[in-house]
Amino acid sequence: MGARPTSRAAALVALAAALAISVVAGVAFGAVKVPPAEVLAAVGRALAGRSGPVEDAVVIGLRIPRVLLAALVGACLATAGVLYQALFRNALADPYILGVSSGAGLGATLAFVAAGSTTLGVLVGVPAGAFAGALATIALVVALAGRAGRLESTSLLLAGVAVSYTLAALTSFVMVVSRESMHAVVFWMMGGLQRASWPYVGMLAAVLVLGSAVPFLRARELDLMLLGDERAGQLGLDAQRFTLAMLACASLVVAGAVSVSGLIGFVGLMVPHAVRLVLGPDHRTLLPASALAGAVAVVLADLVARVVLAPVELPVGIVTAIAGGPFFVWLLVRTERAR
Amino acid sequence: MTPGETLLSFENARVGYGFEPVVDGVALEVRAGEVVGLVGPNGAGKSTLLRAVTGTARVLAGALSVCGQDAVRLSPRARARSVAVVPQALPVPFAMTARRFVELGRHPHLDVLERPGSEDAAVVEDAMRRTDTLRLASQTVDTLSGGDLQRLTVAQALAQQPRVLLLDEATAHLDVNHALQVLDLVRSEADAGAAVLAVFHDLDLAARYADRIAIVAGGAVSEALPPEQALDADVLSRVFDVRAVVRVEPVTGSVAVVPIVRGADVAEAGLGPVGVVCGSGAGARLQRELARAGCRVVCGALNEGDVDADVARALGHAFFALPPFGEAGADAEAWAAQQFAACVSIVVAPTPFGRANVANLRAAVRSGRSLVFVGQFSAERDYTGGEAAALVAEALGAGAVVVPGEGDALRMVMAHVEEGRDE
Repeated sequence: MGARPTSRAAALVALAAALAISVVAGVAFGAVKVPPAEVLAAVGRALAGRSGPVEDAVVIGLRIPRVLLAALVGACLATAGVLYQALFRNALADPYILGVSSGAGLGATLAFVAAGSTTLGVLVGVPAGAFAGALATIALVVALAGRAGRLESTSLLLAGVAVSYTLAALTSFVMVVSRESMHAVVFWMMGGLQRASWPYVGMLAAVLVLGSAVPFLRARELDLMLLGDERAGQLGLDAQRFTLAMLACASLVVAGAVSVSGLIGFVGLMVPHAVRLVLGPDHRTLLPASALAGAVAVVLADLVARVVLAPVELPVGIVTAIAGGPFFVWLLVRTERAR
Repeated sequence: MTPGETLLSFENARVGYGFEPVVDGVALEVRAGEVVGLVGPNGAGKSTLLRAVTGTARVLAGALSVCGQDAVRLSPRARARSVAVVPQALPVPFAMTARRFVELGRHPHLDVLERPGSEDAAVVEDAMRRTDTLRLASQTVDTLSGGDLQRLTVAQALAQQPRVLLLDEATAHLDVNHALQVLDLVRSEADAGAAVLAVFHDLDLAARYADRIAIVAGGAVSEALPPEQALDADVLSRVFDVRAVVRVEPVTGSVAVVPIVRGADVAEAGLGPVGVVCGSGAGARLQRELARAGCRVVCGALNEGDVDADVARALGHAFFALPPFGEAGADAEAWAAQQFAACVSIVVAPTPFGRANVANLRAAVRSGRSLVFVGQFSAERDYTGGEAAALVAEALGAGAVVVPGEGDALRMVMAHVEEGRDE
């Protein structure tokens, strides 16, 4: 079950191949179709520094950053889901349900309204605001849910939902108060990748590397956390400190994803869960495999969002929510039955 | 083996959570090669003592040292290299392989970024071999039975290569076979030089596997003593409020505890007295029920070591103690006659009669008190060459009653007792 190195490597290679195929498909399809061969040719010309036909600008300047951003957002959300599920030993935990996405959204909105749309504001201020919002939210949710040092599954989810609603209302309030930026904020909060550009890609790639490298290097400690805080402590892990560090990593990747694409729900829930079912709970495999699978999921969801009502684009968050809501209900019913 | 150096020591320690002490004045040492058992009522703080060693509970005063080092200053990692815990068997809801599960026990020996190497693999292999879990290696832990999972947890603890092993009711959810298997394993770890501190839920298992036992009750810990000294009827009555027979079980050679009745269920002995002619444990149930009903009970002469004598002692019933296998002399019979003469009623238990207890029957029959026989007397129960049979016939001639069971006898006797009280 995922413990053998060969099957682990095979699974990762397969997921990487799936990602490559979905990226090419994501670039090729859209309002204007570009054949996959043309996509590769355009990339080749851009790398060589040669000029090409007008379509190159669409492919290089719009499509590719958008698809790459979708992939990075998916990887970030899935990574955060893996971390929350391990730390809270709860298969229903994900950044959206825990309210962390809403917290990041409020932080990002405040930063957006305050810092405006300068390049520095958008690339540093908004993610920083989102990060602060995410950290404050997870601290609040854990404090609300935790009684006598134990986190009850149901109370964690209830606290998350309650905090999530409150923060979403606050975000709406901020939007209404600052009218001029309302339209931009609304579209972004619904979960969209329309504003994709290369600087965003660079920023989110850096965030993903920062936020997932430490968890990946400490995969064994994440495995230990599955045994519970007390048992992890008995086996030599300072569970409290480790949990804080991992929550910071998770908040960072969520903040990065939310600050470029708004609220995209259920990716952090579905992807780690499905990957765990197939490859087992070993985090050395689960973390990279979930990141890859999350990337594939959001690239495909964004493709659907662009194609289904073309030329009108749906926010990608709507697509993931329509797929993820029923999945969550199924998971909840299954968990309740297992008791 | 003879105990070696002290590996775990509480010195006048006060332990608890936050600033709230749970147990105070703890003085306890566990040496290499020995198993020290902790017993006591629920919630008395047994687990808190173990948690103080693992750093989950706090040492509020005094000292706690592990392998000569101050336990409070140890990092979780350094601590886990010397101390391993086997907790209660708990279900594990995820599909980790058994080998990976045991391998997690190597964590405290690995650097932050270090992967387990061949040496670690050898330790894991050895731990799994000793716990008979190698055949489970590639199964996932969420599919295992409680017994298998608990042996795997022991393997995980052994993979830590600890010098101190803590057991927190490690056999609480296991059937008797798996419980013995886990404890035999722990015993052999102690014999190989580990210091074991174990919380026991089951007093018989504690007496069987612990070299010394300390009682945790009322916010304090008693001195750790050998089981036969630590567990006696007096301690059980005081600590657990249970009237019990404590005897050396000949089959295992260790102390065994047989609870008779909860102390709270024994009424103040203000009724009666009621005589019970018994022996070999035939009167145990009568003695128990009469004690619950609040009767003072006298049993005549009984041999030391006889089950009825143990029960009488545990319940505080009067009897004349004869040496083991000794016969009742004139003094014993005179004592029984005097006691029975003062009884409201006398019950004769379905006991065999021999040279020792036939004196009780004689004293009872000649006391002139109302007599109730449980069960028809037959020659199979007569080891006195006909004397007992003659005494029974004499009693029946004088109006004694025979009832089929103990329940009937108790009802009849209690009716007599109530009448006697009304008069």
